[in-house]
Amino acid sequence: MNKMLSFAATMLFAGSLPALAHDPAAAIATSPPAAPYQQVSGLVPLPDFLPGLGQLFVDPATLPAGPFLAYDHDGKLVSTIYMIPVADLNPDKSFDNLMAPGGNVDHVDVYYNAGHPGVEVPHAHVVLWHVDAAGEARVAQ
Amino acid sequence: MRLARRRAFGIGGGFIAALSLPILTARGEGPVEISMQGRADGSHVWFDPIGVHVRRGQTIRWTNLDPGNAHTATAYHPANLDHPRRIPLAAPAWSSDYLLPNGAFSTTLTEPGVYDFFCIPHEHAGMVGRIVVVEPESEGWLGTAGADQGVPEAALRAFPPVEEIMQRGVVRPA
Repeated sequence: MNKMLSFAATMLFAGSLPALAHDPAAAIATSPPAAPYQQVSGLVPLPDFLPGLGQLFVDPATLPAGPFLAYDHDGKLVSTIYMIPVADLNPDKSFDNLMAPGGNVDHVDVYYNAGHPGVEVPHAHVVLWHVDAAGEARVAQ
Repeated sequence: MRLARRRAFGIGGGFIAALSLPILTARGEGPVEISMQGRADGSHVWFDPIGVHVRRGQTIRWTNLDPGNAHTATAYHPANLDHPRRIPLAAPAWSSDYLLPNGAFSTTLTEPGVYDFFCIPHEHAGMVGRIVVVEPESEGWLGTAGADQGVPEAALRAFPPVEEIMQRGVVRPA
């Protein structure tokens, strides 16, 4: 009886556990990430390190949406970024099943970007930060 | 209205140019500087100044002062990504190609008239500028059919009026 109660309690408890936070996939946790990701500054004319974002990598086949993986000066993943052209936010277009290999998300920023090489139209940056708000300073400059 | 405007420039152009002479001849021998700038998050990008009135044979230098982006200074011309011609007919097309931070590009404008230019990755965001060399051509591209074709609305709205450029000499972004 005691064993049954103990078993039942264990099952009940396991079912109510919150989803555990997970680490980024090993292949992309540090810079440079494994293929098919490539450094963005090697694909288009942009600085190696973008203030406010970091060093970016992307699988060119996923452009424009990405995901873009952003690393700090120590090569640690800090965010995952999706770039969605404003013109594509319409009833006839959707972006489905975008990869999300970066692991736990602490907070999200969404903001307008006027464009840049690689995504040369106005678009939204959707930034999934894998570090806390104070950690954003690691890629500020 | 467009034809009348063109004729007005042809008739009054010499008078306007005479009024503008103090601004043109006051410039030093160095290049006229135009910077390329942007906010840190890339939400706003611009040329500064966006309008300049210069003498014939003036050198213009664009410098990218945006630490997080690349920009171009590209003349509106069919040779540049099949854009409409918005520079004097006799003027050659020019483009800086992508300038990384602190990169610069210069060109010398020898033909009188109005020169419109844009930034390739930011044209749709309205990053454009306008140079008036002496005065508009009497039978130039201004107001002609096709000059606006394919130009994004944000860019068309951003060009400062020729009259304002000639009156003020330098027009800076708002």
